[in-house]
Amino acid sequence: MTHEPKQPNTYTVDRGRGRERGGQGLAAGLGVVMRHFRDAFTRRLDNPAKTSGVFTVQYPEERTPLPEASRSMPILLYEDTSGHELCTSCYQCQRICPPQVIHITQAKDPATGKPVPAVAEFLLEYDACMSCGLCAEVCPFDAIKMDHDFELSTDKRDPMTVNRADLLRPVSYYAGLAPGHWADVKDGALKKLQGAVRRRSGSIGIAPYRAAQLAVVDAPPAEAAAEVAEPAGMDDKAARLAAIRARNAAKQSAEAAAEVAEPAGMDDKAARLAAIRARNAAKRQADEDGGA
Amino acid sequence: MTPLLQPILGGVVPEWLVIVLSHLAVTALVLLGAAVMMMLAVWAERRIIARMQDRLGPNRVGPAGLLQSIADGVKMFVKEDIVPRAADRWIHILAPIVALAPVAMMLAVIPWGRGLVAVDLDVGVLYVAAVSSISGVGLLMAGWGSSNRFALLGAMRAVAQLVSYEIPMIIAILGMVLLSGGMSLARMPELQGGLPIVGTTLAGVPDLGLGWFVFTPVGLLGFAIFFICVLAEGERTPFDIPEADSEIIAGYMTEYSGMKFAVFYLAQYILNLALAMVTAVLFLGGWQGPGIAWLAANGLDIPAAVLSLIYMLLKVWLLFFVMVLLRGAFPRLRVDQLLSFAWKFLLPLALVNVGSIAIWIALTNWSAAQWGGVLNLDMLAAWQRQLLAVAVTAVINIAAYRWVLAINQPQQPETPDELIGAAQAS
Repeated sequence: MTHEPKQPNTYTVDRGRGRERGGQGLAAGLGVVMRHFRDAFTRRLDNPAKTSGVFTVQYPEERTPLPEASRSMPILLYEDTSGHELCTSCYQCQRICPPQVIHITQAKDPATGKPVPAVAEFLLEYDACMSCGLCAEVCPFDAIKMDHDFELSTDKRDPMTVNRADLLRPVSYYAGLAPGHWADVKDGALKKLQGAVRRRSGSIGIAPYRAAQLAVVDAPPAEAAAEVAEPAGMDDKAARLAAIRARNAAKQSAEAAAEVAEPAGMDDKAARLAAIRARNAAKRQADEDGGA
Repeated sequence: MTPLLQPILGGVVPEWLVIVLSHLAVTALVLLGAAVMMMLAVWAERRIIARMQDRLGPNRVGPAGLLQSIADGVKMFVKEDIVPRAADRWIHILAPIVALAPVAMMLAVIPWGRGLVAVDLDVGVLYVAAVSSISGVGLLMAGWGSSNRFALLGAMRAVAQLVSYEIPMIIAILGMVLLSGGMSLARMPELQGGLPIVGTTLAGVPDLGLGWFVFTPVGLLGFAIFFICVLAEGERTPFDIPEADSEIIAGYMTEYSGMKFAVFYLAQYILNLALAMVTAVLFLGGWQGPGIAWLAANGLDIPAAVLSLIYMLLKVWLLFFVMVLLRGAFPRLRVDQLLSFAWKFLLPLALVNVGSIAIWIALTNWSAAQWGGVLNLDMLAAWQRQLLAVAVTAVINIAAYRWVLAINQPQQPETPDELIGAAQAS
């Protein structure tokens, strides 16, 4: 008994012509090339359904429109009219950031020392950012979004660490980039912003650029705002001293730390940082003590 | 050139110096023209092939990218000149020169226009055939001297290809030599005046300069054979086996960089253009075209020369465009396909074509006495004999073409018959 191998199914492709001999096939090939040659002068290949026409985009002069979800680097949003930033210092982006390039300092009420849902400083290292967009995905307040501006190349390293003032963009800017995406989240984001604004005071949480504009319009509070924003003549030494004192105090006792954390130069950034560090140190000390 | 310089310099410098200077001037002019044509050809090829591939091509340097070749040349100049340690130093250095020199020498006998020929050699056609094959030595030197396997492989392929394709090429030229009754390249265009097909045999009709050999059956077949061989000689794309970049990197040019590479490049493009010029002169009437005979008859020699130069360049660039078109359309042949195409397809056709050219000459020129009483065509007018010759040679050539196709039919059809039957039935 012989084994008959089963024939696989045979598919016939009909290309609408029989066998071509004597150079007809070559001539047909030349015809195809000539068609492309002709079409390359007369039209653009802007639609994938076309098979011929120039597809080159001459980049610096011509650009293809970027899709809404295109992402280059993260930016922070603020509300156009009030200048209030959408960010509430929830640290979600800082936590999720794979290369760990986001550094947030939460704002504190200068009067009470209580944390306020706003950022004091927001540092982002553009040079190490990998544009994954996880920060924008995770942000519950739609405060951090991905920009479309990709022409950031530079030969300097320092400007690639971007601070809060340089990260901020008005909401209208993002709405222009990605109208569809913004329309999806607009209502929720602005509602949450209302909640955050209620817990803010003074110029906290207002974009510096917008705050300066508001100050010009409204003269009397401008002086106060200026004082708050920039403690005139405050020299660094006092702040550094305060920081050292804070650290020493933290070492000495966990309870004392809370008091030291409110030195005279509270407004100064360095002092505030020192205070935060002191508190953290004190807490750690307390935990260790408790553990022991 | 000597008559032009004689009145200017005649009294100042001795006679012999005027002759030397005029020859130098002509040489410089021809070489400069060739270099400019080469740069234009590189630019044109890149732009044209880009359009065929739905791209734009280089368009940044200068207007429409015209200065791209100059930018590339500058780049080549400043590149490091590398000679591999294992290379045969002198052969490696000499190879590009040996490849370029004969190609440049070819330009000497090519008529650029009516009365515009550097040297009118009596054996111009033979000279071209002989000199063009010397550059093969340069390619082999490059391959051997580089001491690189890819380079040697490329050189071997190049030599095999050049030797194979020279034979049908020379037989095709031979037919034209028979037809024109001489080997002077400069005389070729003069014989191709008149009207298409009947040439100058019809009296009382203005000379339109269109009696090109390509319009006759023998000339058409000769043109096809010769042009295919030109593609192979110039290593143009369907036959670019010696430098097949996807197989052997760059063939014999693998170890070359900087100016030496540029010289090879220059040699290749000048060879392509020179062979396109020879093709135009032999088959497409060279500088012949409507109006030239009229201008010359009215004593307007300089306008006739300019117009003829324009016609010549138009034909050369048309042929170059066809070369680029073929490059855009066709993939590379295999070595065995290349050789069997030369020996089994082109060579029989070329031989048959020489036979039909002999019959052509007998039908158009021989008197009854020469025929020996077999055939008497003396009572027919010249144009009638020409038409008779066209008809007879057309039959012979078409029959030969079909016969050669039939003997080259593959034993096993590529597509099984039952599939074709099914396709046609459905």
